[in-house]
Amino acid sequence: MSDAAAPSHLAPGATVRCRAQDPSRHNRAPRYVQGRVGEVVELRRSQPLPGESLGGGGPAELTPVYAVRFAAAELWGAGDHSVTLDLWEHYLEEAGNPGAEENP
Amino acid sequence: MRDNASVRPHDVGGMGGFGPVSPDEPDEAFHADWEARVFALNVALRRRDTYSSDEFRDAIERMPPDAYLASSYYERWMRAMTTLLIEKGVLAGDPGADE
Repeated sequence: MSDAAAPSHLAPGATVRCRAQDPSRHNRAPRYVQGRVGEVVELRRSQPLPGESLGGGGPAELTPVYAVRFAAAELWGAGDHSVTLDLWEHYLEEAGNPGAEENP
Repeated sequence: MRDNASVRPHDVGGMGGFGPVSPDEPDEAFHADWEARVFALNVALRRRDTYSSDEFRDAIERMPPDAYLASSYYERWMRAMTTLLIEKGVLAGDPGADE
């Protein structure tokens, strides 16, 4: 969508948790990854945060978008596969060592 | 109902009970002529910048859950386009009306 780049703060391999969200508008973090811990695969590009561009306020701020991989067992409780999806940095928080705390 | 966005009806990823996904044949882009017209109309409106992709997706997700779940893919597109065109004053109508 855009060749411009926003500063990114997450490196490939970083352990991240998708924030639980209650947005009032369009958002692109499906419920099934909210609160779940995954791993950053790569930085994709910078794109405006979905939902922030609504309402005629002009273009939203560019935000880094990452491919984040979640183990099926983390999402569904079972399975050996993984699910990778693109998530905006705003949706993510560093989760440190996932073994150090109980998963939700 | 915009305050209840966290339970918007489109967010069914991982939810059971809908049965198997049956992809259409690759050459079956549309099931009826009106679907192609809805598709083309949306392309035209996007190129004119009448609304953005995010606004369009948001309008689909704002559908009442019962209507959303009972509608086909392009029925949702038609409804979202109608919603946005009324809200932006392109079409006359009541933005709060259900139909």
